[in-house]
Amino acid sequence: MDFSIKPVYDGEKKRWNVAVTGEVDIFKSSEFKDALIALTEQNAGSLALNCTELQYIDSTGLGALVAVLKRVKSAGGSISLSHLRPNLLKLFKITNLDKVFVIEGDETNE
Amino acid sequence: MNEKYGEPKESIELSLPVNPAYVSAARLTASTIANRMMFDVDEIEDVKAAVSEACAYIIARAVATVHPVLTIVFRIYGDMLGITLTFEGERCDSGVEDMSLIMISGLVDEADVDTTEEAIRLSMLKKHVGVSFGV
Repeated sequence: MDFSIKPVYDGEKKRWNVAVTGEVDIFKSSEFKDALIALTEQNAGSLALNCTELQYIDSTGLGALVAVLKRVKSAGGSISLSHLRPNLLKLFKITNLDKVFVIEGDETNE
Repeated sequence: MNEKYGEPKESIELSLPVNPAYVSAARLTASTIANRMMFDVDEIEDVKAAVSEACAYIIARAVATVHPVLTIVFRIYGDMLGITLTFEGERCDSGVEDMSLIMISGLVDEADVDTTEEAIRLSMLKKHVGVSFGV
């Protein structure tokens, strides 16, 4: 399965709201990274990723997110993820990346 | 793994090109087998993710030659699933720090990596908590 993103820019909040669908694995992680970076080059700001339809992400996908986060942070922004499936949230916790990204809806981090 | 757990009840072998495009096929096979063993939803997702990470680990270190092959063997030991991934051929250091092994250690009950000049072998074991697979 491939992935797709549906971005909408919120000029007031200076933030891209991005719905991510599909799977981001070693085959597609570079493309995923490039797609998010392209958004930040178009309009600088934060990224809010809606992961309701994100079926799977692997370590290379997480690495892509980290790379994008470095860029976003250098411009004063952040990356948040919402509606992560439990099995994907587990991957963030195993790698401690739940402490690096803002994960919305994760009660254990409150 | 056979030495420790005896002969498996069933073995399933999958050969894939060392190509990221086919990692999803490995995930699908792992999912099918884990489901067949009546693993619960969380366990199935763990197995899928572990196999995917193991593939990524090996692909990052396998030197491309003519038709490089990644072999994945799934061995069913009652209520435990053993998975061994093997690449035989020239290997290299990945050059980058990756999270694959960290993730694998958090997803399965046992994991071991054996690297030689001629091969990379990554073995994992996932135990099912609950009703045994008794076919």
